[in-house]
Amino acid sequence: MNQNDPADSMIYIVDDDHSVRASLQDLLASVGLASMAFGSAREFMAARLPDAPACLVLDVRMPGMSGLDFQQEMARLNIQIPVVFITAHGDIPMSVKAMKAGALEFLTKPFREQDLLDAISQGLDRDRQRRHAAGLMDELQRRYAGLTDGERDVMGLVVSGLLNKQVAARLGLSEVTVKVRRGALMRKMNADSLATLVKMSEKLKEVDR
Amino acid sequence: MRRTQLTLRLLLLLGLSLGIAAIDTITDLEIAVGVFQIAVVLIAVRVLPARAVAAVSAVCMVLTILSYRLTRFGDTEAGLINVLISLAAIAGTTYLALRLSAAISTVHRTRAHLAHIARVNMLGELAASIAHEVNQPLAAVATSSSAALRWMAAEPANLPKAREAVERILDDTHRASEIIARLRGMARHQAPTKQWLNVADTLNAALRLLAGELNEQGVTLRVHVQESLPPMLADEVQIQQVILNLAMNGIDAMRQLEEDRRILELHAALDTDHQLHFSVSDQGKGLSGNDHERVFDAFYSTKDEGMGMGLAISRSIIEAHDGRIWVTSNPQSGATFHFTLPAVTRDVDESE
Repeated sequence: MNQNDPADSMIYIVDDDHSVRASLQDLLASVGLASMAFGSAREFMAARLPDAPACLVLDVRMPGMSGLDFQQEMARLNIQIPVVFITAHGDIPMSVKAMKAGALEFLTKPFREQDLLDAISQGLDRDRQRRHAAGLMDELQRRYAGLTDGERDVMGLVVSGLLNKQVAARLGLSEVTVKVRRGALMRKMNADSLATLVKMSEKLKEVDR
Repeated sequence: MRRTQLTLRLLLLLGLSLGIAAIDTITDLEIAVGVFQIAVVLIAVRVLPARAVAAVSAVCMVLTILSYRLTRFGDTEAGLINVLISLAAIAGTTYLALRLSAAISTVHRTRAHLAHIARVNMLGELAASIAHEVNQPLAAVATSSSAALRWMAAEPANLPKAREAVERILDDTHRASEIIARLRGMARHQAPTKQWLNVADTLNAALRLLAGELNEQGVTLRVHVQESLPPMLADEVQIQQVILNLAMNGIDAMRQLEEDRRILELHAALDTDHQLHFSVSDQGKGLSGNDHERVFDAFYSTKDEGMGMGLAISRSIIEAHDGRIWVTSNPQSGATFHFTLPAVTRDVDESE
């Protein structure tokens, strides 16, 4: 919707008021931020979103699904875009609810533009970090998926602290075979030491949980 | 006025009670006419305050005993039982009737309280939605202004973009003022439907609606309407609303006073050939200097439970009638609210 040059981030604006959307898009454009605006949470959900670090500027009071309801819905669907709320009539219980549900900021219209820009840049940072962490995780899982069943068995026992000899006894293999598989899996997982391998294994377990 | 009314009612009830006692006396002791004293009690409950009802009931009981002593004919033993039954009936009726009337007044108070809460809630809702409506364009204006400043501050300045932003600001400013214009229209409901009104009749119709409240609060009303006032061209309901509003404020202002000091005065007179002058005076605490300027503002109230709407609405009504409304302090105590309405003297009337 916005004709900004393809930037390395995208700001989504969901507000039912046309003027508010237009002015926000213009403000973001003036500081070089690309944005997409939507009149309702439904439109936002239906849209195809670019794969880039993002931040969502969300109005609280909208016809249809309110901003707070939409925040819950996003949590349920595991959409992890940082949210900055803007509202024309904020009250304390409302802001507490939003912040508890993980909102970055709760701004009352009319807000100071610097407050909004600060919140957005904080949101983008957070999303970048999250995406970075998620990228590392994907890579790790991809490597793990590349192991053979035998290598996975050896890895499981090695990270639990067993010696090659013990692993061989457990699996009913020769110690040489265990050594060969261990070398291969260290290479495939790109782990330079047993300690690194243990850490990777911990991370993989976290995701399984 | 109120005291004489009370005395009159008491006298009528006493007469009724005496009549029953007289019939009781001249009939045989076996005939328990005394039981009919409960009718006196039941009437008393409807027209008298609780203490007076208790007094009336005591008088009825005394009369029943007296008539028993004075009755010459009949069986004394049966008579004694009849008297006891009568006394028990009067006492029981009094007790139940007072309980019932207390319950009824509680119901009334609660209902009035609920109505007030409902009004306040509605107003809160209204205020919230107005705030939301007006804030949207304001937010857009603020954001567009920031954007415009940034476009202008850029190197080189992006004037076309800044211009677009300023045009949006203009649009949103108009939008905000349209919202406010719409609200004003809503607050006024509709243009007043003016017709020729007799001043005295209009005032009296409004005061009739106040009778209950004046009576309940023990407020004495003094009305001074100048003779042969010219008719006024006004919306009857709206003008009565203003008068009721001012009078209710006056009554509220005098709640803390002793009853005989609660005096509400209403004046209507011709100021000049073209102007009718109305005033409503109370004997309450009056207003402080600051209140004088602010009482007509919306949401400003000197009352704990006030919403600050009555006088604001009154002002918009009077102004819609090309009149003026203001308040002055009385020399001794209390405040006087004045308003004027254009008067139409005969010659102007005919020329139109």
